[in-house]
Amino acid sequence: MPERAELGVMNAIIFSALIGVVMMLGGIVIKSNAGIKLLAIILLFILLGSHLAEYYDLFNIHIQTHGMLAKSRFGMFFNTIIISLTLLYVLLSGDEIVKVGTYGAEYFALIFFSLCGATILSSYNNLLMLFLGVEIMTIPLFVLTSSEKKNLKSNEAGLKYFLMGSFSTGILLMGIALYYGGTGLFAIEASKAANEAQQAFRILLPLGLLFIFISLSFKVSAAPFHFWTPDVYDGAPSVFTSFMATIVKTAGFIAFIKLFELRSVDMGYSWKILLPLIIILTLLAGNITAVFQQSVKRMLAYSSIAHAGFMLFALYNPNDFGKQGIMLYTVAYSLATIGTFAVLTKMKDYTYEGYNGLAKTKPVLAATNTIFILSLAGIPLTAGFFAKYYMLASALKESTSNLWLVIVAVLFAAVSVYYYFRVIQAMYFKDGNAETTEIKPFFKTLLIIIAALIIVIGLMPSLLLDLFYA
Amino acid sequence: MAITEIIFWFLSALAVISAIMVVLSKSPVHSVLWLIAVFFAISGHYVLLNAQFIAIVNIIVYAGAIMVLFLFVLMLMNLNKETEPQKNLWMKLTGVVSGGCLLIILISLVRQATEIKGKIAVTKTGDIGLIKVLGKELFSSYVVPFEISSVLFLSAMIGAVVIGKKD
Repeated sequence: MPERAELGVMNAIIFSALIGVVMMLGGIVIKSNAGIKLLAIILLFILLGSHLAEYYDLFNIHIQTHGMLAKSRFGMFFNTIIISLTLLYVLLSGDEIVKVGTYGAEYFALIFFSLCGATILSSYNNLLMLFLGVEIMTIPLFVLTSSEKKNLKSNEAGLKYFLMGSFSTGILLMGIALYYGGTGLFAIEASKAANEAQQAFRILLPLGLLFIFISLSFKVSAAPFHFWTPDVYDGAPSVFTSFMATIVKTAGFIAFIKLFELRSVDMGYSWKILLPLIIILTLLAGNITAVFQQSVKRMLAYSSIAHAGFMLFALYNPNDFGKQGIMLYTVAYSLATIGTFAVLTKMKDYTYEGYNGLAKTKPVLAATNTIFILSLAGIPLTAGFFAKYYMLASALKESTSNLWLVIVAVLFAAVSVYYYFRVIQAMYFKDGNAETTEIKPFFKTLLIIIAALIIVIGLMPSLLLDLFYA
Repeated sequence: MAITEIIFWFLSALAVISAIMVVLSKSPVHSVLWLIAVFFAISGHYVLLNAQFIAIVNIIVYAGAIMVLFLFVLMLMNLNKETEPQKNLWMKLTGVVSGGCLLIILISLVRQATEIKGKIAVTKTGDIGLIKVLGKELFSSYVVPFEISSVLFLSAMIGAVVIGKKD
């Protein structure tokens, strides 16, 4: 849709911001938790509807953006995915969100604002918008992380996240400034005229890109910038960890891809060294440390680092195969993670022992959780398998000399099976009396739907990918 | 010597001397106060370059808000002789090396900048730094980021209330 690239802010951006305001003000009128949750769900349906209306060219708001935002099929499709995932997430965990503290409506409002940031990241065409998108996405998260005020761990996590986040934002700004110095532009697309005028300061461009790369690596928790992740994911209320680990993280990757598909050539040879190095470090740090965890929540935090390593493969070949791959990965990984976290929030004890004998007490939970975990591990017949396959294949498509890297990644995937299967082992083969909070039939139905989706996408990934081209 | 030139040299000298005093002062509070002097001197330079907006913003944001924040932090930390962190040799060494690296870069940059050699700054002309021009630019080319930043501030405000309010 290039002819409309100049015109048109996405509906999703405007509506998610407005809906955030409505949600916040709704909190004044509606006092009951159930009412707030219902309002959030209705508003999410409106958001999804407005976005789909634009997707199918029925209705959209035209605004002259002066090249700040660019609409692309890729970004639009990604928005559809994240809005749907958020809807699923709220349907599944809405009760837990309002229970975290006394500000249910505000939590939802912050989630909407964060979603607004994510939609900006999927459509930015200018580094100013990248900066704003990253900030709008993460600032609500600082608050959500520390929302459990009575819990010291939550406070600590919030402060840690805030400090580290502002530090990485500083690096991002430095990178953008250097980028500006190197090209004379904030736009991410290369402009010939501007570039020639700035040849003298050309060296600043790779340096700026390196800084942006570091900052974005921090946001998606790629090693060696991942140290905040386990503490923050562990300390934050579980429902919000689920949001952070899925929607926010994948939006970070979209930002990554949008910039580096155009600009990785400017990094020159250093890109060829940097990317494999970061991927291997991330896989190593995530998978190996996850093996030693005793708490399932902390294990999932490390596993989310490991998944970041796989998602970074999309940067190898971001043109078509990698883009399809990241879409598939977003869906597969997010569905499975939202599912496991939903089960986790219902558990009384977050350690592996807490899961002992879950299959006897709550067979549906155990069965669906098994499917989520199999998908996370990337076992065939689940969505996670094809997601990983596409990622690795995209690296091989770039050049077969990446074979060694693919082999390393497969080995680490094998390591991940160990710690994922410990959960399954605890649920099915260990005696115990896993305690959960009250579980509604609706919750079970949703879990079954998610599990079914994972299997369907695992059997026929083309169903999802065809939508991308439809 | 024209009056502009006199002011320029005066401000430059003030900025450099104050900057040196920031580093040399024993008391951190004195350092902060010297830093404020640096900011004022730099703001003076901006005025000379006809960039009034940035001059005012520099004073309001840096000399005002950020310096007050600095002072608050310093006073809350309650630094004195006993609590002074011990700097070991390695720390000093790394400081010297990193500072020296920056110095080398700056010197090489100035040496290579042949384009600006012998040229003096254009003072009192140009309208790029005027509020009027800036406002026009902000509300035409940059209107989207300008408007969207309101979402950022709103979420930050809600966040502050959610965290800060008593349950």
